[in-house]
Amino acid sequence: MINYLFSILTLVMIYGIAASSLNVLVGYAGIFSVAHAIFFGIGAYAGAQFSLLVSSDILLSCLVGAATAGVFSLLLAIPALRVRGEYFVAAALGLQMVGVTVFSEAHALTGGHGGLVGIPPATLLGMDVSSPGLFLLVCAVMLAIILYLVRRLMRLSFGRALMSIRDNETAAESFGKNVPKLKTLAMFVGCAFAGVAGTLFAYNMMFVNVESFTFEQSILMLAMVVIGGVGTLSGPLIGAIVLLSLPALLSFIPFIPPTEIGTVQQFIYGALMTLLMIFRPSGIAGKL
Amino acid sequence: MLFLQLLASGIQTGILYALTAAGFALIFGATRIFHVAHGATFIIAGYTYYELHQVGVWWPLATLAAFAMAIAFGVFMALYVYRPIQRSEGSFFTVFVAAFGASISVQSLVQYFFGRGSVMVSTPLTMAQETLPGLYLAPILAVSIVVAIIVFTCVHLFLDRRNAGLGLRALSESPGLLESFGLDSKRLTILAFVIGSALVVPAAIFTAVSIGIQPASGHRVMLISLAATIVGGIGSLRGAVLAGLVLGVIENLVITMVDTQWSEAVSFLVLFAFIMFRPNGLFGTAVKK
Amino acid sequence: MKTSFHLITGKQGATWRRGVATVLASAAMSLAAPMVAWAQSYTLGTLFPMSGPNAEAGAIYTNAVDLALKHIAQDHWLKGTISVKPTDSLGTPQGGAVGMSRLVNVEKVPYALVGFTGVAKASAPIGDRAQVMMVNGGAVGPDLAKLSKYFWNIIPLANQEVEFLIPWLGEQKIKKIAIIYVDDPLGQGILSELKAGLPGVGSELVSSYSVAPELQQFSPIIARLRNDKPDAIYIASPNITQIAHIIKQVRDGGLNTQIITYGAANFPSISKLPESDGLIFTSQAADWGSDEPTMKRFVDEWRKNYGTEPTTYGLNYYNGALLYGYLVRGLEQAGKPVTGTNLLAELERVGHYALAGGEARFSDSTVTTAMQINRISKGVTEKVK
Repeated sequence: MINYLFSILTLVMIYGIAASSLNVLVGYAGIFSVAHAIFFGIGAYAGAQFSLLVSSDILLSCLVGAATAGVFSLLLAIPALRVRGEYFVAAALGLQMVGVTVFSEAHALTGGHGGLVGIPPATLLGMDVSSPGLFLLVCAVMLAIILYLVRRLMRLSFGRALMSIRDNETAAESFGKNVPKLKTLAMFVGCAFAGVAGTLFAYNMMFVNVESFTFEQSILMLAMVVIGGVGTLSGPLIGAIVLLSLPALLSFIPFIPPTEIGTVQQFIYGALMTLLMIFRPSGIAGKL
Repeated sequence: MLFLQLLASGIQTGILYALTAAGFALIFGATRIFHVAHGATFIIAGYTYYELHQVGVWWPLATLAAFAMAIAFGVFMALYVYRPIQRSEGSFFTVFVAAFGASISVQSLVQYFFGRGSVMVSTPLTMAQETLPGLYLAPILAVSIVVAIIVFTCVHLFLDRRNAGLGLRALSESPGLLESFGLDSKRLTILAFVIGSALVVPAAIFTAVSIGIQPASGHRVMLISLAATIVGGIGSLRGAVLAGLVLGVIENLVITMVDTQWSEAVSFLVLFAFIMFRPNGLFGTAVKK
Repeated sequence: MKTSFHLITGKQGATWRRGVATVLASAAMSLAAPMVAWAQSYTLGTLFPMSGPNAEAGAIYTNAVDLALKHIAQDHWLKGTISVKPTDSLGTPQGGAVGMSRLVNVEKVPYALVGFTGVAKASAPIGDRAQVMMVNGGAVGPDLAKLSKYFWNIIPLANQEVEFLIPWLGEQKIKKIAIIYVDDPLGQGILSELKAGLPGVGSELVSSYSVAPELQQFSPIIARLRNDKPDAIYIASPNITQIAHIIKQVRDGGLNTQIITYGAANFPSISKLPESDGLIFTSQAADWGSDEPTMKRFVDEWRKNYGTEPTTYGLNYYNGALLYGYLVRGLEQAGKPVTGTNLLAELERVGHYALAGGEARFSDSTVTTAMQINRISKGVTEKVK
């Protein structure tokens, strides 16, 4: 039972990091990315390959995952700098769909549909940290570090400049803010943190394949940010907790067959998204 | 012959894409609402037809029911989801997320009651016959072409001639002007959703009949509609239709050049390319940066 | 002793008898107590696709396991009872990884039955690390033979299926083969076997088309197939519904080419499809009319309880559960606890068991059995070779 709790909490931490990283893009920089699962995936594959080929040190793997995802954030940055609004959403969608195909086909890097199997247990400075309790601790510490970094960044002028772009890009430009540079940096940061989450995810499952990085996953992350509260620090974490604990809670309701729990979970967060947007667009933790 | 064959299947796919894209483009062009729940309309229409067909309802009645359900859903979204949001703050983000949430909810509902697997309506219309040596065409292709022509002609005439149609075209550009002409922008919005949702129904039925539909199909339909709308040019219905056709044809022809797994991704590469280099699309008005 | 005889009989003996009875009874109870504690519950994990495109397989496998456990209980093999811990693999590799993780970390099963190549490959390392025995009765990807020492295949793998098919293809003068496959361990395995073996009988692989597992629209591929003019089309997809879709669309498209596939054609979605008439497929050999007692009981009870004809998949999972019964019995008799490591040791120690269908020899994670080629004619599957 305790292991079960640990495994759910670990997932909460991992998705908390992923949602927080998406929040940097969506909530703070106003960059509406629906391709976040791709960067989560890049981090996962990079971290996994690193552990299979070089070392299973979790810190190093996370750095590799973060760096790789950060570099690929350029793919998203280019359209972000050229178009806005619906066009950018469409571009992000395009990136997501193409990304999934690439993940399925690039055998050498991703193992194709079969994925990368047998990822070694995580170690930290030589110590084995793969037991459920220790790994949870590692993820919790990562989450805390990332939340701290996000908070610092947003308090700095960088963060304030970002938010001014989010609120009114043309005005921000007229104030002399270097919009392209700021946007690119924000995307690098957000995607890099997603890469960290991806690496942790790979170690947690001991397996990665394209199914964890689909469009539905991107939307799940977006739902966490939106439901929890866009642009707030605690929002994405709250969103992660709410959405991930749903399946566990639902398994206690007697008349739902266990094979349908995923479907009911989906229905709930779909309806939540819509209802929140109608009645409380700032989300659970947001300020009205 | 291979080329002709692929062109034929490309046209078949392209017509389905054109119909759904036209619906999305009409709604978006007229109301500026990013109705990503359009895919849900597709699913609702398809499953209504399928379920009624399973219990033996005569197909014209089943078709009418599909229309009714699709239009009802579209109008529901317009009245109870989009309108309240637009009244409060109506940012693009909020509308998008709400529409998405609705789409996911519908997909889960359908999945819960009808299963995750794909369902198909069997009909002899999908049996291909050798029309020319080496060219196999199924009657469903002819039916799709005829229906599409009829549908698009009707929509075109409506938008060109009837007052309400003209009103729709003006809605996105100058809603204020409408008021002074005595046209109600709220009613016109509903009209846009009615026509837009109805356009999806023939596509849903043809898909159910030829390759089958499943709850997850809605997402793909919505993505293609979005791609076609942008490639065709926002604000241009003609563009969306043409882009839908073109994307369908490309998707089929491309397998002569690249491995089959890439055929679906190609449409999105095309979309990405257009956004990068020609955001106006084929026929659209200039994009404000 | 004269005294003891008097002690046992007669009225004075009554108290003594009562005393002895009490002592004997308590002795018996204290001996039985550990045996009662031994009559414990053993768990058997299952990782089957209970939902998704392969759900019909999950249902059949589960029925097979239930039937086997029923027979094990009826025959009083064990002092304890076996309870099943089912998880849903969704038929996808990720679902498998998550499900196996749950089985080993939460349910702590020592033995799990798995199916589907991608699922097996993803979950094997997890089971291996936890030292849990895994037995596969349905997946046929060739690299399942080398996944882990804890991973055993009770079904002949695709390389055996294709090896058996190729000579027949030569005999039938089927020269040009086109293959539609999913680029996953199963598809890759079958593709490489065909590539390697076909030239040996004078045939060749003229074209290969890789598809995504969720793809439903095959008309462009069918157009190209028409162009290739193969003598036969081989379908190597892990998804039962996808295979059915391909068959239907090929026939709809006016192509009457011979279609060949592997053992998945045993599932009703494919075997009962009208367009499957004439379908050829390989599978392990199974003589449903056999008089061998275990087999006969399996066939009769399957028909009685489930109202359908048994298939080789059902047979394999029946045997998979039976194997667990054998191993647990062995460990019970030796007084050892039932853990994955001990189960593995027991299997390696004994090495052969009488399963339904005959004696099975286990070595190197695989089992060798006979194969056969089947054809579906007017809805009925008949053996061709």
